[in-house]
Amino acid sequence: MKIKTLQDLENVRKAGIKKLFPDKPRIAVGLATCGIAAGGQDVYEALETALKKKGVNAFLTKTGCFGICNEEPLVNIAMPGKPLVILHKVQKEDAESIAERVAKGKLPEEKALCKIEEWDHITSEKPFFYGKGYENIPLWNEIPYFKPQKKVVLRDAGIINPEDIEEYIAVGGYSAVYKALTKMTPDEVVEEVKKSGLRGRGGAGFPTGLKWEFTKKEKSDVKYVICNADEGDPGAYMNRNEMESDPHMVIEGMIIGAYAIGASEGFIYVRAEYPLAIERLKLAIKQAKEYGLLGEHIFGTEFSFDIRIATGAGAFVCGEETALIASIEGKPGRPRPRPPFPAQKGLWEKPTNINNVETWCNIAPIIKKGGEWFSRIGIERNTGTKVFSLVGKVNKVGLVEVPLGTTINEIVCHIGGCGIKSKEIKAVQTGGPSGGCIPRNLFDTPIDYDHLKEVGSIMGSGGLVVMDEDTCMVDTAKYFLSFTVDESCGKCVPCREGLKRMYDILEKITDGRGTEEDLGILDELAHTIKATSLCGLGQTAPNPVITTIKYFKDEYMEHIKNKVCPARVCRALIDYFIVPDKCKGCTICAKNCPVGAIDGGPGLIHIIDQSKCIACGTCMDVCPFDAVVKLSGEKIDTPDKPIPVKKGR
Amino acid sequence: MKKTVRIKINGKTYEAEEGESILSVCNRENIDIPNLCFNEALAPYGACRLCMVEVVNGPGKKGMTTSCTLKAVEGLEIVTDTEQIVKYRNILFELYLAQAPNSEEIKEMAAKYGVTKTRFAKKAKPLDPLGNKCVLCGQCVRVCDEIMGTAAINYIGRGFYTKINTPYLEKNDACMGCGACAEVCPTGAIQMEDIYDKRIMKSWSGTEVKLKKCKSCGRYFAPEPIAEFAYAKLDPEIKEELKDLCPDCRRKLLSRKEILISQGEVSKNED
Repeated sequence: MKIKTLQDLENVRKAGIKKLFPDKPRIAVGLATCGIAAGGQDVYEALETALKKKGVNAFLTKTGCFGICNEEPLVNIAMPGKPLVILHKVQKEDAESIAERVAKGKLPEEKALCKIEEWDHITSEKPFFYGKGYENIPLWNEIPYFKPQKKVVLRDAGIINPEDIEEYIAVGGYSAVYKALTKMTPDEVVEEVKKSGLRGRGGAGFPTGLKWEFTKKEKSDVKYVICNADEGDPGAYMNRNEMESDPHMVIEGMIIGAYAIGASEGFIYVRAEYPLAIERLKLAIKQAKEYGLLGEHIFGTEFSFDIRIATGAGAFVCGEETALIASIEGKPGRPRPRPPFPAQKGLWEKPTNINNVETWCNIAPIIKKGGEWFSRIGIERNTGTKVFSLVGKVNKVGLVEVPLGTTINEIVCHIGGCGIKSKEIKAVQTGGPSGGCIPRNLFDTPIDYDHLKEVGSIMGSGGLVVMDEDTCMVDTAKYFLSFTVDESCGKCVPCREGLKRMYDILEKITDGRGTEEDLGILDELAHTIKATSLCGLGQTAPNPVITTIKYFKDEYMEHIKNKVCPARVCRALIDYFIVPDKCKGCTICAKNCPVGAIDGGPGLIHIIDQSKCIACGTCMDVCPFDAVVKLSGEKIDTPDKPIPVKKGR
Repeated sequence: MKKTVRIKINGKTYEAEEGESILSVCNRENIDIPNLCFNEALAPYGACRLCMVEVVNGPGKKGMTTSCTLKAVEGLEIVTDTEQIVKYRNILFELYLAQAPNSEEIKEMAAKYGVTKTRFAKKAKPLDPLGNKCVLCGQCVRVCDEIMGTAAINYIGRGFYTKINTPYLEKNDACMGCGACAEVCPTGAIQMEDIYDKRIMKSWSGTEVKLKKCKSCGRYFAPEPIAEFAYAKLDPEIKEELKDLCPDCRRKLLSRKEILISQGEVSKNED
């Protein structure tokens, strides 16, 4: 059916509500890419079989990701009138018992992670109330991982079925489009976004309202809006999840943006590595067209708008807006100098407004609840929330949405639960390969565009990689450099030639061949590349090196002067030894050594021949007695040849 | 008529056409700025990063930028040789010296600005079709596309391993053998040679282009596709008798005709 009036929208909303609150149990399996990878698809199929086999009258469906990766696969169950309960670490073997208990109106409480009694979808008229009960299960926002979080962008993720437009409309979806198109002028829409203070979530933080105004002011018969979904930072997956869990919110934001600036066509530029996101976006676009929310005369107004998907071929630099435009045009993805900015001359030389996925996701709530409401979240000049992907050496990993201005400490230690196996956390890397490493003593820095810049990093798209005492900062800098060397497009000389030269120097240092002079060259190169590169990739690529030299110079010096890697990571600088007192002569290490560097035999103390050892660490991994140690710059006494293990140990 | 604006370079005032590239203005006024990827005939590209200047005043953004992409506007004020620019530029020269170790042009240009050696390992690839002279300024790629409309060559790969050649490193039929690429190359890296009836684009995967034979003297004088390309552009069309003549024979024919006319042996209209 085509939605033309508010009444039409209301009718669909009611149909959707019936799916969200059916008069029977609703079971939804978290099936974003992460959930599927954790085995969610198997769980879904097992549940389907079990429910059928036992003849249970329940509504089985899929949902997106609720953001707590450690606990996947997640399944949520809502009994009519009862709280929505989120089950964690569900395996396909659990399906039968879940089905049995659901049949009796019960829940597998031992699998419950948390419950939701009331949920605010932000765009709905009022929060949804599920019900009260299950005293033994904690409320979702009582558990430390969720407590500091505020879900604005992830308002529907893990709750609604991302493949069903009716469920999106049920939670107030597309009512912001209705409001914008029928009750606001384009100028008023721009004004509202300006009032919200929303800044670009792609990383640079340019005020969104201002960007829209620039494109709006340009005189042209054709204008475009583009959604930049070329998320490519290592360890970052916010945008993927946003598209997979709630594709309609991206589309809704784009419709409103297009209306505001006067565009009639939009593109979503998604990387081809996100097949599920592409599939769900395509389905969402198809559904939106069927319901008349994309196409001619939306809501019976003069405004027409359509969206097409363009897939990227995997180049990181295509996230840069001018390279992205070139890529959509079918040209090699290489940036060009700005000005002219895309707002003046963008796609096919027409005024074009590009925003990141997450920027678009914020638009519907801003229009629905007002810019004023949005500006109260976060801190001054940094309003709203930001989704971060918290990964690395931290206890709890996942997608975290917090108001801007939340400190690093709050995210890493309170939400993330500090280091794995009580290891000391050393630093956090923000902003991907363009960002910097922030040391522990600066963890009270609020995460927002301005404060991160002050400490030498950037917000970037929202990757947060946690590093602990086992992370070598020189090696980390080298890793990020290897990424940018690979991803540099090769157009301008500082980025193309300079980054590789920096990488070579870092390799020299991690190989134990570095000199103090190298550190000076590294510094010179870093600042030259930053100052003279053509696009943002080159201008920010040296950041990981600059910040690690700034905050962890002692680690560099250890590598250079003493040929020691304090974190014991750099292979050329570490040695493995078998502790004679611990070795039981079981021969497992010798059997697994890929280069035959271990001498020994049954009942004999094993010895590693350092001249043959390649420091792969296999012996350490396989030793059942923790007899293998990894040292840098140190030695332990070992026998000259294998001698019998002392009896009685 | 474009508006004339007044801009200040290194404290001195100059006149320029509004929107004109600052590097063009500097070239005209003999203000020395090194550059490799700029060519008046092509759209500004901003890749070599050598033509950095500092904007100290003006309506746009302040700070360092490339002068080739910077446009003249009223009140713009720039300086061309700050300490910072020199420092960064010298490092770029070092990178160029390592990238194109066989290029005399690069050595000369760098030496002119005081850079005679590089601290970086030289990137000498064996059997490089561009003789380890290419600096990837892209002038060849752009002239082939923008001016000739051919796009017979392009970038291959990316980043540090980018090179320029024909697709899949195969002989390319699209090449017209015009040699514009070799003409614009600032480092003389592109090699081509005419052998009997063929032009061999040695740098471009041995692409071969047939040469046209002069119907009078029998000499091979120009690539066939270029002759056809030129004939198709002429309006009015070229006279049949002048077609397929090498420039020498064409001159001879025309001169002889003039002489005959002056001697009254043929009338002017008798063609």
